[in-house]
Amino acid sequence: MRYSFYPGCSMEGAAKPYLKSIEAVAGALDMQIEEIQDWNCCGATIASGVVGDYTQQVVTARNLALAEAKGNDILVGCSSCYLSLATTNKRFQEDEHFARMANEALAAGGLKYNGTIRVRQFLEALISDIGLEKIKARVKKPLTGLKVAGYVGCQTVRALPWEFDDPENPVFLDKLIETLGATAVPFPMKARCCGSSQAVAAPEVVLSYGKNILNSASAGGAQLIVTPCPMCQLNLEAYQGQVNKTYQTNFSLPVLFFTQLMSVAFDLGPAAAGLNYLIVPAEKALGSFAR
Amino acid sequence: MADCRISPDAQKIDLSFAKEIYALENGSSIKLCMNCGVCVVSCAAMAEMEYAPRRLFNLIKVGKKNEVLKSNTMWMCTSCCTCKARCPRGIPIIDVMHDLKKYCIDKGYVSFPQAEFYQAFWNEMQKFGRVYEGNLMKNYLLKKGLIYAIKKGLEMKDMGMDMVKHGRMPIMQMLPFVSPPKIKGMQSLSSIIAKAQSQQKEAK
Repeated sequence: MRYSFYPGCSMEGAAKPYLKSIEAVAGALDMQIEEIQDWNCCGATIASGVVGDYTQQVVTARNLALAEAKGNDILVGCSSCYLSLATTNKRFQEDEHFARMANEALAAGGLKYNGTIRVRQFLEALISDIGLEKIKARVKKPLTGLKVAGYVGCQTVRALPWEFDDPENPVFLDKLIETLGATAVPFPMKARCCGSSQAVAAPEVVLSYGKNILNSASAGGAQLIVTPCPMCQLNLEAYQGQVNKTYQTNFSLPVLFFTQLMSVAFDLGPAAAGLNYLIVPAEKALGSFAR
Repeated sequence: MADCRISPDAQKIDLSFAKEIYALENGSSIKLCMNCGVCVVSCAAMAEMEYAPRRLFNLIKVGKKNEVLKSNTMWMCTSCCTCKARCPRGIPIIDVMHDLKKYCIDKGYVSFPQAEFYQAFWNEMQKFGRVYEGNLMKNYLLKKGLIYAIKKGLEMKDMGMDMVKHGRMPIMQMLPFVSPPKIKGMQSLSSIIAKAQSQQKEAK
């Protein structure tokens, strides 16, 4: 199957291993993904707080317009990009007045969007289009005995609630974990907020939420956490040292993008798994699977 | 904490502020609020907020402009969408919060660090077409002054070094006077932004 792909800004920086592992996993499952040429930032949930929903959505729509000629669905990994692109796309399809106005603005940049393509979460496309059976068949190293907490976070399932999965108690990620042969541990905080961009302006908020989330994962017996969200990954992993310092805890829980764990189970090699990018090392938790 | 009930004294409420807020992109949805409190029990950031969303909406309704614009409520919202997914009246609460953030910035209520971060983020976006984390952090911190930037930079140095060491933040972006590349279609994007903003002004 062919898709357009929107990586988003974080995949050029902090979420580099997400990009590498998405590309590798897609390749292994015969999904042809093609990056949208010259894409621009979607504004996340920040830009609208400065310029308003309308302007942000028009800016986001430039990406939709650039992708439309190919006619393929757009896959998005980052949950915040997904929120921005999927919400804008929905508005194009449902709000005629908006679509007309937004196209006037896009025309100023020589573009037009007709609302003919879909915006999809990479996780959702894996499960709906490829299917768990095919994924299972591709597993070379079943992760038997590995206890994994699936941290879905917020916007993946709540950007457009009930478009896929349960916005309060999501199961897609757990099902995927189990398909890889690992055990998805009970994790009551799997859809609770990590504090998101407060990491910059109010890091104490992120430390306190992070402590609670790491506690919840540990209590379930998790050896590592996987997530589809770059912000969640950053807040739970890069800030883990500061959580330990602030709360006198001693968490040492690796936080991987779920596609990194898939790369391990598919045995796609170290470059695809990208474990070297992790600040909290995952080799010990992964044991023989990582070798 | 300001009293957000309608005053027990007989007095006429000044509706001019409420009307301004109702005119924002998602503002009129505030009128749907029936004070059920689902947002209060759903909010991830409730402990940090001065007023729960429903209380903030009440303050708007009774015209307490200063209390609203000086409160941290919208700035603590992380857009986690829990309230939006649950609100029985279908109020897009996080989008109302975005409107209020914009309103605060437009009116000069920018004392919260989040307000500066938001502006730095948008600057990055409209200048380069993409946001580069290292460059954004640098410009956000410098916006707050050189001394602050150095102090904060030192506080965050362990984490920053971890990111650099693990190839997740190019050190070049952290250097002053080094700018990241622009997208190729920057000119087209700038024209789109200018047009969208002029449309928004006209719509008012």
